[in-house]
Amino acid sequence: MSVATLTSTEPRKWTPMSMRTGLIARKRGMIALWDDNGVRFPVTVLQLENCQVTANVKSIRRDGSEYHAVQVAASDRPEKTTTAQMLGHFNRAGVPPKRIVREFAVTSDAHIPVGTTLSAIHFVPGQFVDVIANSIGKGFQGVMKRWHFKGLRASHGVSKAHRSAGSTGAHQDPGRVWPGKKMAGRMGNKRITTQNLTVVRIDTQLDLIFVRGHVPGVDDAQVLIKDATKKMLSLGKAAAEKGLIDKVLPKGVTDLPFPAGTADMAMLYPPIIEALSSRTTSPFIPRE
Amino acid sequence: MLPRAFRGTARLFSTERLAYPFSSKITTPDPPYESPPESLYHGKGLMEHLHKTLPTPEKQELLATLFSHKHPDRIRPGSVLRVKMEHAPTSFAGVLLAVRRRGVDTSFVLRNIVEGTGVEMQFFANSPHLKEIKVIRDHTGKRGGRSVRRAKLYYLRNSPEKMTAFASGVTD
Repeated sequence: MSVATLTSTEPRKWTPMSMRTGLIARKRGMIALWDDNGVRFPVTVLQLENCQVTANVKSIRRDGSEYHAVQVAASDRPEKTTTAQMLGHFNRAGVPPKRIVREFAVTSDAHIPVGTTLSAIHFVPGQFVDVIANSIGKGFQGVMKRWHFKGLRASHGVSKAHRSAGSTGAHQDPGRVWPGKKMAGRMGNKRITTQNLTVVRIDTQLDLIFVRGHVPGVDDAQVLIKDATKKMLSLGKAAAEKGLIDKVLPKGVTDLPFPAGTADMAMLYPPIIEALSSRTTSPFIPRE
Repeated sequence: MLPRAFRGTARLFSTERLAYPFSSKITTPDPPYESPPESLYHGKGLMEHLHKTLPTPEKQELLATLFSHKHPDRIRPGSVLRVKMEHAPTSFAGVLLAVRRRGVDTSFVLRNIVEGTGVEMQFFANSPHLKEIKVIRDHTGKRGGRSVRRAKLYYLRNSPEKMTAFASGVTD
């Protein structure tokens, strides 16, 4: 696995075929916002904690195709609690030691100089993002909660099996339980992706990203945020191939910071940017 | 890379910021202050800070007086309020059943009997559509009001006689 070296520093432009890096943030909590029509909607507050680039990854697969990625790290940790191996890695990148290090797949034009501090300005209010985190752990749970089984009757002769799974298979054929049979077990604390959440507001002063809706995980959990695969990347590519320039990006969004929105870029623009409603009419005015 | 405290002072003033080039459908509200305390960058007290600073100054004052726990002018369950709104119905009056204090998400429920049908409406204090809240009858025995011994008066849903005692003759 070799590290890509960046040669030029001229400004690069986003194209529909590019894939940008994502960010690592902390889920801080939920709050409500009101849009310009006066509609209330719930938002989750995500905060970047010194999110920096620690490496650029380029590797060639056996069939000759290339894999490119940007390695991002966040949440400073004391040197005392960092292993020597990781300390060396962070020293090489020129960043303080971090708690979480993750990689985001990108296209070859989206590599970022190592050591760059990323900012909330990376995401544009009005765009869609996928948010990935570990869901809240529920412990050992029964089939009704874990797999939405119906259970058995509450009365009419059912003996001590009201919440059980019932039968687990057929008879002599196959004479066993299929692998993967849904049964009781540990539930939660697994990686979950919530797709197509709208970014409604960014605050570059406190590095906050407000996304509309729910995000997996507990408060202060580490989450990964990236451009939505379905509503941004796939739709953008398809629209670009057909030549529909207006449908490449969501309504109102004209461009994306490329290769990334950095802390230096954040100082150029207003600190708080909020998206207007994507609706054309107000829902409070009855239609004719 | 400049340390964070230094970064704040190195910023351009708000009048010197460039126009945001990545989206056309945006607004740029002003931040509460130029340099926030260091603890907010680590998320300590961040949600409380947002609950205090996201509402407009008028709404912040409303939350600090009518919806506080201790203010002498706070609204109390059992009083009858009239609320004026931007959207239909432009005016609604009723008995205050419950106040749900959640910072920016604070809301309250009014109940009234409108043309023989019990109607409850929940209003969010921070909503831009909420124009005015006026107390018509007090929660105490004065001004034709009644005193209560509960924070949430959901028992009035099953008690038309008590509803009449609270809100007889109250119309929008």
